[in-house]
Amino acid sequence: MSITFQINERLLRTIHEDLSRPHAFALERMGFISCRPTFDNKQNVIIVARTYRPIQDNHYIDDPSYGALMNGDAIRMALELSYNQNASIVHVHRHEHRGKPKLSRTDIMESNKFIPSFINVRPLLPHATIVLSYNAMAGRCWLPNKKSPVPINKFIITKASERLGVFV
Amino acid sequence: MNNQSRQSFLGKNHEDILANSYIGIIGLCGGGSHVAQQLAHIGIGNFVIADSDVVEDTNLTRMVGSKPADVGRMKTDVIADLIQSIKPDASITQVDGKWLDGDAEIRDCDIVVGCVDKYFERDNIERFCRHHSITYIDIGMGVHEEENGFSISGQVVISEAGGPCMRCLGILSDENLEQENKLYGEAGNTPQVIWPNGVLASIAVGQTISTLLPWSPNLARSTMVEYDGNRQTVSKSNRLPYLTTGTCSHYPSH
Repeated sequence: MSITFQINERLLRTIHEDLSRPHAFALERMGFISCRPTFDNKQNVIIVARTYRPIQDNHYIDDPSYGALMNGDAIRMALELSYNQNASIVHVHRHEHRGKPKLSRTDIMESNKFIPSFINVRPLLPHATIVLSYNAMAGRCWLPNKKSPVPINKFIITKASERLGVFV
Repeated sequence: MNNQSRQSFLGKNHEDILANSYIGIIGLCGGGSHVAQQLAHIGIGNFVIADSDVVEDTNLTRMVGSKPADVGRMKTDVIADLIQSIKPDASITQVDGKWLDGDAEIRDCDIVVGCVDKYFERDNIERFCRHHSITYIDIGMGVHEEENGFSISGQVVISEAGGPCMRCLGILSDENLEQENKLYGEAGNTPQVIWPNGVLASIAVGQTISTLLPWSPNLARSTMVEYDGNRQTVSKSNRLPYLTTGTCSHYPSH
């Protein structure tokens, strides 16, 4: 079984714009993507990104040992999102480089702590964490009834028509 | 006051919700052109439009936005122009062929409005939408010869998880799919006119917006609305009370 994360270019651009904003003390920004999970004909999982919720400025914890750390309110907001919209939740942040990014040890440790909260709220849906670079992404997905996360194998970025000059 | 002020009853965040919504429209002639035009006026921000045909002379009587100079152009180009002229910042993805050529793009949609003639296409679109948990709104309209004239009728159906599908409602059946298959290539030009499409498209747009932005807790959204073009009436379908189980047996896993 493969895992695909699909996002449209417009939403991805919105996320990049948000993650580019400086924060008063956090060195990087984070957010949550509300997603609709689905399957292809071979029962491979496709997680379709729908909407983005940035983490509010006051939901970051001032801890110099982390690039960015969110507080319980940020998690609660995302849990509500998952519950109210019956949505898969994908946590997102960015590493400031080009090329294939890799989740750091801290990313893995922290996501191992908070993603299970989403599984508690919506146990039948996959949830994930992804890291972006300027031009690529990588991630891990927690599937229903599986203890350990698995890598996201494929990323699809859908595009709007270039004829109209929306994405130039 | 901005251009959205008359729509403010749709909710505090309605502009954002509309701007971030993705609507697919499959079939862009009589029904789909109306739907596209209205949704652009309302402020939908993202469209996926699909049609494999070019504009023909015979489409000019019912395809909103088409002009004689458009004959020979792709319908997707004409409707993209129409949307852009109303909402210049809309993102428009064109599928200039079979709608399934844009499967990934259609998978992005929150709602798909189907405005196609053929039963097998409607069947396939509904299957796709059910499979991917997308709300499907189907428009169907016909002009039928009677003993002393013609009758115009149509319906709008919402097919979504938990509710009845078009087979439950009798719109689709193995019989009508088989009959259509036998007649493939022999159907000729079926009669179509603009005003019933306009009525049905407006209902479909209403269903779309009530799905995205329910403006009252008492909205009674009908799964199937029927249009009688001879009486000029629109009513909730009386087929619904006969659906005894309340659940769809054709898409049980959805």
